Amino acid sequence: MSSPGLERPQVVAHAQQALNYTLFDCKWVPRSARLLCLGSAARGTGLLQLYELSGGRLALLREIEKAKPIKCGTFGASSLQQRYLATGDFGGNLNIWNLEAPEMPVYSVKGHKEIINSIDGVGGLGIGEGAPEIVTGSRDGTVKVWDPRQKDTPVANMEPVQGESKRDCWTVAFGNAYNQEERVVCAGYDNGDIKLFDLKTMSLRWETNIKNGVCSVEFDRKDVNMNKLVATSLEGKFHVFDMRTQHPTKGFASVSEKAQKSTIWQVRHLPQNRDIFMTSGGAGSLHLWKYEYPAQRSKKDSEGAEMGVAGSVSLLQNVTLSTQPISSLDWSPDKKGLCVCGAFDQTVRVLIVTKLNKV
Amino acid sequence: MPVWLREYSWRQTGAAVYLSLPLRGVRVTPANIFCTDQYLKVSVPPFLFEAILYAPIDDTNSTAKIGNGIIFFTLYKKEVAMWDSLTLANADKEKLQYLRENAVLKSHEKAKEETEAKKVTKQEHKKYALEATMKLEEAERKRIEDLKEKERQKVTKELALWKKQQKDAEKQKRVQKEGQLYQEGEQLKGKKKEKMNQTRIPNGGTSKTKLKPTQDHGSYSMFSENLKEEQLPAPRSAATIKINFTSRVFPTALRESRVAEEEEWLHKQAEARRTVSADLSELEDLKEEEKNPDWLKDKGNKMFATGNYLAAVSAYNLALRLNSNLPLLYLNRAACHLKLRNLHKAIEDCSKALELLTPPVPDNKNARVKAYVRRGTAFCQLELYAEGLQDYEAALKIDPKNEAIEKDAEKIRHLVQGTSQDS
Repeated sequence: MSSPGLERPQVVAHAQQALNYTLFDCKWVPRSARLLCLGSAARGTGLLQLYELSGGRLALLREIEKAKPIKCGTFGASSLQQRYLATGDFGGNLNIWNLEAPEMPVYSVKGHKEIINSIDGVGGLGIGEGAPEIVTGSRDGTVKVWDPRQKDTPVANMEPVQGESKRDCWTVAFGNAYNQEERVVCAGYDNGDIKLFDLKTMSLRWETNIKNGVCSVEFDRKDVNMNKLVATSLEGKFHVFDMRTQHPTKGFASVSEKAQKSTIWQVRHLPQNRDIFMTSGGAGSLHLWKYEYPAQRSKKDSEGAEMGVAGSVSLLQNVTLSTQPISSLDWSPDKKGLCVCGAFDQTVRVLIVTKLNKV
Repeated sequence: MPVWLREYSWRQTGAAVYLSLPLRGVRVTPANIFCTDQYLKVSVPPFLFEAILYAPIDDTNSTAKIGNGIIFFTLYKKEVAMWDSLTLANADKEKLQYLRENAVLKSHEKAKEETEAKKVTKQEHKKYALEATMKLEEAERKRIEDLKEKERQKVTKELALWKKQQKDAEKQKRVQKEGQLYQEGEQLKGKKKEKMNQTRIPNGGTSKTKLKPTQDHGSYSMFSENLKEEQLPAPRSAATIKINFTSRVFPTALRESRVAEEEEWLHKQAEARRTVSADLSELEDLKEEEKNPDWLKDKGNKMFATGNYLAAVSAYNLALRLNSNLPLLYLNRAACHLKLRNLHKAIEDCSKALELLTPPVPDNKNARVKAYVRRGTAFCQLELYAEGLQDYEAALKIDPKNEAIEKDAEKIRHLVQGTSQDS
């Protein structure tokens, strides 16, 4: 690597821990140097492990075992004082746990008939305004939005029309939560559909198909007027949509990039800079990208309707950490550049990305 | 016969012999000179000069200078001694021959040794070069590693610092909290004391007032929580959004690289379902789409939905003439016949459909249930209740959770039992 190469952000492996269970999701506990690993033990039960980052190592603080394997989790809907974890498991149950007293969940509902593939939360952690809500997407083809104050029934249910054969929902994300009423849910399905639901008007706002199963969607910020949406898919492609301008027929403008030969499992935006995001791939690699805005974000088309203009994406750095897919990724909201990733080689790694200030 | 050169002149010192050999008119190259430690030969066709030397010389160091028409040899003696003459005098033919051959062999050996020595030196040179490059690369790699290490250490230090800051912040918060709690505790104690003093006299009120302090505490915190909850909006009013999916025949996820394969498979499936017997003369009048059994089936379904049962039956008939192996066509035609009260025909069609629906797999579960139910209905309408009940029970076996079938089965059972009791 010559000196120009060393000016770019470097991904430094800080600590790693070998686990004896399959790791599906890893999350930082907000306002701390602790992280949570969620997964499935060999005997078919769910495991929650709480680690503390001390020195260059991860020290296990607590281990909690539950009946069903846990697929995904989020802190997004709980307040900073409580820091309750919402999890979705293989049996379709949504549970909210108080990690100080994890024997009984604070909230529990059998939300779906099949595994909950993806979960997201908004309204908590001091981010966003409005009611705290949790959205879950499941293999039974439905996307449901829950309010922890309302038991048993979801506050919104996006389900297929009667008689329509269902498609797996693989990913969900909240966005556009810039005031108390507005909120938007984006869902990606295995047949390549991306659907954007507006919760204020309870309607489908936009849909498109990206020709490959959608593995992960994320807005760059949940709590602002929706700016950008990144959707990653099978076959190593991802699309960045500019969400500021919606054309009546063409929808949102997008730029797409084919980065890795294999599935891109996750995309995560840096909490401290919304134009930098990291994608994790099926070949065990991580790519760090920067989005550059075009000179003009919108232009008029031939009929005078506003149309968005997509910018460009450039690769800042890439690193291969493992031979197995890196299925989960999370940036620390407190320390810029600190992130944790979990791979299917049963290892959780803590990485530090340097020089993000100079990007 | 070569021309022997006999004119030569020589002189000697203790350590060397100087021989000059005139050779006019010919060009001499080093290849023409052959020298070993006791034999010297110069052969420039047609001239030939050879000499068996008096004593051995050091042939590697000896030199021959080729000048204009003359060769000047400088031969270094192995032993320092004065030679009586340049050549051995009493040399007979045999000895000559022997010496010659010996000389040739010796020179060959020498040549071999030289090449081997060269090889060895070459290898050593190569090795040296390789080691040198390896060292350079190692150095480069080390330099990069060091840079990376430095970064890592810097970053770890920053992290440790950040953690310390975190811990300090938490400690502060905890201290604050404790302070608050202490204050609250003091206030409560004050209140408690007041209440206790008031209620020490009347006995009946103790239970009530004992609750009060806790209530007070509760209301203290509930009050602040109420405020917070008022800030959050109420839970959204529940609603459902119905969605449609981009249709996909296969249950697997969509991948661009597989699309071509999938299209081909579907195409082949469609081909297999098309005209099985395409040489019916009446079919020439039909349009292309009317020859497609699937299209005809859809037409039939539409007509059934609108209530035009006879037209539906004719559509299914045509479809069956094109391809008589599709069980769904028989099934749908059976439904039409039921509506038209052609019960025997309905039973026939259901039976044919069930025949085609072997082997019984989960995929054709729905179809089989429908077949049994329709046949059962037909039997019951013909008042053959026992057979009808059999079919309903078969349907229940395939799909035990269907309540409608259960209810109907119950009704028929009652009827059957009723009639058997009578007779």
